[in-house]
Amino acid sequence: MKLKFLHLALAAALAIGVAAPAAAQKKGGDVVVAITNAPPSLDPHATSAQAARHVNLHMFETLYARDEGAKPVPDLARSVAVSPDGLTYVFTLRSGVKFHNGKTMGPADVVASIERYRKGGASASLISAIDSVSASGPDQVTIKLKTVQSTFLGNLSSPRAPIAIMPAEEAAKEMGKASPIGTGPYKFVEYKPDSHVKLARFEDYVPNPAYKERDGFAGAKIAYLDTVTFRFIPEAGARDAATMTGQVQLNETSDEATAKRLKGNPNFTVMKALPYAVQVLKFNMAQGPGTDLNFRRAIAQAINAEEILGTAYPDLYLMDQSWVYPGSPYHTGRALLKQDVAAAKASLAKSSYKGEKLIFIIDNIRPNVDAATVFQQQVAAIGVNVELKVGDWPTISGIGLKSDQGWNFWTHGFGIEPYEGPASAMSHWVKGQGQRKDDPVIDELFAKLNGEMDVAVQKKLFADFENRMADQAIAINLGDYGLFQVVSNKLKNFKPYRITRMWGVWLE
Amino acid sequence: MIRFILRRLLASIPVLLLVSLITFGLLWLVPGDPASMFLDAGATAEALDRVRREMGLDQPFLVRMAQWYGRVLQGDLGQSLLLNRSVAGAILERLPVTLSLTALAFVVSVMLGVAAGVLAAVRHGRLADQGMMTLALIGLSIPEFWLGLVLIWLIAVMVPIFPAGDYVAFATDPWQWAYHIALPTFSLACVQMGFVARMTRSSMLEVLGQDFIRTARAKGLPESYVVVRHGLHNAMVPIVTVMGIMVGALLGGAVVTEQVFSIPGLGRLIIGAVLSRDFPVIQGGLLFLALIYLAVNLAVDLLYAAIDPRVRLE
Repeated sequence: MKLKFLHLALAAALAIGVAAPAAAQKKGGDVVVAITNAPPSLDPHATSAQAARHVNLHMFETLYARDEGAKPVPDLARSVAVSPDGLTYVFTLRSGVKFHNGKTMGPADVVASIERYRKGGASASLISAIDSVSASGPDQVTIKLKTVQSTFLGNLSSPRAPIAIMPAEEAAKEMGKASPIGTGPYKFVEYKPDSHVKLARFEDYVPNPAYKERDGFAGAKIAYLDTVTFRFIPEAGARDAATMTGQVQLNETSDEATAKRLKGNPNFTVMKALPYAVQVLKFNMAQGPGTDLNFRRAIAQAINAEEILGTAYPDLYLMDQSWVYPGSPYHTGRALLKQDVAAAKASLAKSSYKGEKLIFIIDNIRPNVDAATVFQQQVAAIGVNVELKVGDWPTISGIGLKSDQGWNFWTHGFGIEPYEGPASAMSHWVKGQGQRKDDPVIDELFAKLNGEMDVAVQKKLFADFENRMADQAIAINLGDYGLFQVVSNKLKNFKPYRITRMWGVWLE
Repeated sequence: MIRFILRRLLASIPVLLLVSLITFGLLWLVPGDPASMFLDAGATAEALDRVRREMGLDQPFLVRMAQWYGRVLQGDLGQSLLLNRSVAGAILERLPVTLSLTALAFVVSVMLGVAAGVLAAVRHGRLADQGMMTLALIGLSIPEFWLGLVLIWLIAVMVPIFPAGDYVAFATDPWQWAYHIALPTFSLACVQMGFVARMTRSSMLEVLGQDFIRTARAKGLPESYVVVRHGLHNAMVPIVTVMGIMVGALLGGAVVTEQVFSIPGLGRLIIGAVLSRDFPVIQGGLLFLALIYLAVNLAVDLLYAAIDPRVRLE
């Protein structure tokens, strides 16, 4: 009798345990998310700006998407069949997927979207290996590649400037002019520049049946909220005030002081999105002492990366110098940078540097300026004379993306590439894009990685890349930093990720 | 009067031309362009060049300038590079927000400023005078952005009486509009309130010492009548002059206030455009602000004649 009672009690407990989370999930409510910048465009193909991803990935989906561990998995595709020669990919599409305009997604939409992206997408080079794309059946799309590309599915699922699937008639519009009509769990309501973008739950959305829960940018994207409003509040103090007065339920980027102040507050949870980006220190290898390996080595030996990150991001950094994030199968857990002032002075003495003033460009984001200031002091100790030149993003990127603008150092976040994996992390240094001068070894390693299907060999190639970056001091990876995010305790099941996902969350 | 208005309208053309030329010159000097807003730090120089081409930014500066003037002469301010709408549309969307904030701040600062100035003049040299002028000096000295942040912290966060921004349009809900715009209005009005109070006091002191005021008092007129009807009425000319300048200052202050309180007005539009180098919006926005400023100054000149019949507009 006792045993039977115990069984009953266990069954009841199990039933409650299983049912509890389901009962807790509530449909309805309006959530306001404070973000720092307005998206420059709601045409997902047109921009790789972070602010655009935040909004667009709620409305648009891709054939393949990254899971929680950044691995490419099917999203709008049900499956893919790859030919033995690795050149042909046949995607079978999920059936019954609807666009926000009511139209059912079909192969023609997929073909038109991919063709549009190839011609003028913000990261068109991601799919430059495509030779042709065509509808090959009522629910099939065939993509033929010019050469084998091991990273093809990874590129196709990149969230950076997503290769979003849109109705063919929208894909026919010129770049930047497509209406925000996708297949995502939220649909567009209104965009008031300088104020907000408002989205509403797409009632006809069918979550991917292959999943039970959200999984990165893929999985079952269940929208519980009635509306989500992304409010653009560039002023940090105003963002914090709006959070504390309950006008916003999620502050995507808060500062350290506010995070500390709110830590014990029962109304909020302070979360860390860590790692969020690598703090990269670039040399201009096309001109000035940056062309000299001894000079670059002297700088790498002179700096104390932990002091730089500890000042710029107190309590919010990881001392990790791998070019992908911990958790990636390609993460090497590289040895840390080691400060050696005597060795730095010796390297500097061997270099062509003669005490001239060098220009360090930085955008006016406070942690970047802090990092540059500490760097300036550290290299001054070995006799390197650095002047900081601070400007807004259009000014600094306009200088840093060219080699002849008189800059020597540049630091900024390198966020999405390490998340996407080795090919993306390497691609920035291919053909001298990041360092402004070709490095044939890196170019060769990248080409090999692209054609290599064996993961073990890929890992070896990526480790060789990291060694090359460190040995030649092509750029300095100072470590990873994160974001403080402040979440109202009324908003349930939120988890920091590369964007603020508003699917799978609900209001209490 | 009509000839005066026409002459002033004609005189405003070179002013507008000068404003647009200076803006163009400054934009030419400032590095960076809106193409970089479409790309992240990992972008390539080639990607940047491609976006620049798509946006028409690869054309020489003088060509773009000539195109812009050509369009403006046809009444077209052009298309925003980032907002996916016309510049005129973007300005007109935000104009009611900025005008309502500025107008409200104007009314508050004039009403309270004039009252404080009159009180200080009437109680000249006494505690009320010193108290009012100290408050006016404090108001004048506090930067709008700092006052805005302090007000948010004190009256929206610590003691949540008013919201911290989150603008509601008047047409949507007048009560909510007033509730949401109260803090920004006070923050914007504070500096001008001090300015008006000091101007009013000094103008009133001058007028109250005149013979006709003594005569009015000698006739046995009530003091309130003497102060308001004879004193304030005659002290208004310099105050009205200040009001014209005030509108310009309030429009400038609204730029900062809108940013602090996240109000989607004309100021925030222009700041956003400057930060993202949305050239047509900067050009169009500044031209529009110059137009408003010129219109207000014209209105002030016309008011002189209404207030003081001795003023001849011709």
